[in-house]
Amino acid sequence: MQLQILVVDDIAESRRSLCDLVVTLGHVAVGADSGEAALALLQHCRPDLVLLDLLMPDMDGFEVTRRMRELDGGRWMPVIVTSSLQGEEHFIHALENGADDFLARPVSPGLLEAKLRHYGDVLALQGQLSSLAQRQSDILDNILDPVLTLDAAGRVEEFNRAARTLADLRGEPLGNGAPCSALFGMELNALLAQRECRLRRVGGEEFEAEVGLSEWREHGRVHFTLVLRDLTEQRQVERMKDEFLATVSHELRTPLTSVLGALGLLAGGAAGALPAPALSLLDVARRNGTRLSRLIDDILDLTKLEGDRLVLHQRPQLLAPLLREALTANQGYADRAGVKLAAEGLDAAAVEVRLDADRFQQVMANLLSNAIKHSPAGETVQVQLWTSPQGTRVTVRDRGPGIDPRFRARMFEKFSQADGTDRRAQGGTGLGLYITRMLVERMGGRIAADDVDSGASFSIWFPVDEAAPVPHG
Amino acid sequence: MSELRRVMCVEDDADIRMILEFSLTTVGGYDVCMCPGGRSALQQAPVFRPDLVLLDVMMPDLSGPETLAALRGMPCMRGVPVVFMTAKAMPDELEQLLQHGATGLIVKPFDPMTLPKDILPYWEHGRGRHVLA
Repeated sequence: MQLQILVVDDIAESRRSLCDLVVTLGHVAVGADSGEAALALLQHCRPDLVLLDLLMPDMDGFEVTRRMRELDGGRWMPVIVTSSLQGEEHFIHALENGADDFLARPVSPGLLEAKLRHYGDVLALQGQLSSLAQRQSDILDNILDPVLTLDAAGRVEEFNRAARTLADLRGEPLGNGAPCSALFGMELNALLAQRECRLRRVGGEEFEAEVGLSEWREHGRVHFTLVLRDLTEQRQVERMKDEFLATVSHELRTPLTSVLGALGLLAGGAAGALPAPALSLLDVARRNGTRLSRLIDDILDLTKLEGDRLVLHQRPQLLAPLLREALTANQGYADRAGVKLAAEGLDAAAVEVRLDADRFQQVMANLLSNAIKHSPAGETVQVQLWTSPQGTRVTVRDRGPGIDPRFRARMFEKFSQADGTDRRAQGGTGLGLYITRMLVERMGGRIAADDVDSGASFSIWFPVDEAAPVPHG
Repeated sequence: MSELRRVMCVEDDADIRMILEFSLTTVGGYDVCMCPGGRSALQQAPVFRPDLVLLDVMMPDLSGPETLAALRGMPCMRGVPVVFMTAKAMPDELEQLLQHGATGLIVKPFDPMTLPKDILPYWEHGRGRHVLA
């Protein structure tokens, strides 16, 4: 590596000959005739290495060395002091004052060459290290998300450019050493469990961010890398989707209201008595209108479920009253079909399960209406509540034809029904069981078709909530 | 007034208005006042003096909740139950609507043959509150 070398010596002849030697060795030499001159030069040019004579009239080499170190811009500039004095005390003194090396005068070319090569190698290595560090820094700074490094206690060790926009709870810009709680309002342990958090920017703007936290070790010390992703845009897109869904829902249901309304009034005789064939046709129209209506409901449910935007209000609920309510709600339909509804196990010990009451009713409505639909007149549909230390089970059993084995495997999937004719005849949407399954699973349960000799049986299983306190006594 | 007699309907869709009128008059036997929007409702309420109001939620110009807020300020509307009619059917959205102060909710599509009966509980409930006050 070719070095820029500053030769400082007040004696012109020795300065010139040292400069010549440096050039012969393949480097570039710049001369200064005094300590002051050298320091002045260092203000605007930066050599790679300095050869400094210790004995100079205006300022001795020790003083110059000290002053050079003060000027040092952070990058290491090796200083080799030279002297023709005998004894090692002045070299030791120089080394203690900031010099890196020494050479006795007259300077041995071989020795100088070896030392220059050595320092050249070290400076090259340092240069590589420096560009590597700069590259890492550039990579981090070009990441648009704030990236922070935390120590084992959750204090900020370093952060990238994007993180400079963050402010702590008091609105102050982020700084190294800031504790985790100043930025997030919680300690590191709590932060580790979060997937999202609320943050502040310098300027007061608040936003929600996704938290990506991972742990690593360096020399046995624990660090955490924290990546924060601004969710504002994502939330906005979600809001737009929800608004769109609401509009679509309204737009589809509005004409349907008039269609079903007019057909209902006609069928009900509100516009006068109608001949039987007309009533049959009205039946067809109404049945399909109702199917359309249910399809819209199901598709909206589905879109929310799959977009993960369905809001569940999970609370511990007593199951028996919910099941009684479900039975009452479907009694009318059962009566019209000539099917009986019965319940078992509702009076046993008060069973509580954590779920969303409205969505549970939706699930029960689906299962009960399916059971009633498939039951011959005069038969009974039975609802059973069963509890054990492991969990709670609700079963809906009918004495209909049972589940078609060809259908069984795909039963809980979208748009699957036994066959096309069944769908038309029974007014289903093909989405009921799929939505039921999704809702049950979202509430923390499982649903399955049971193996029975006759008819069909569906069971919903809610395992015991491990986090819930175990009752004693 | 011991009987539900006068029902005011506020609905921007003309066809649904026709269904409502048919249902409430021919099937229900009520006297009705049909309003195509919130502003019309605010004009008609003091004249018609309804016993119960069926109010559509999503309307252009004045929305259902905005119309409700304006109606509540009118002396002729004291103790008169207002029932929202909406095409929204998600339970969480229904909850939010009730927060606006409506007495109840009817979901579209509704059954025009049973609507006259279905609104009775809301009238009784609303009326009860008025008497207690």
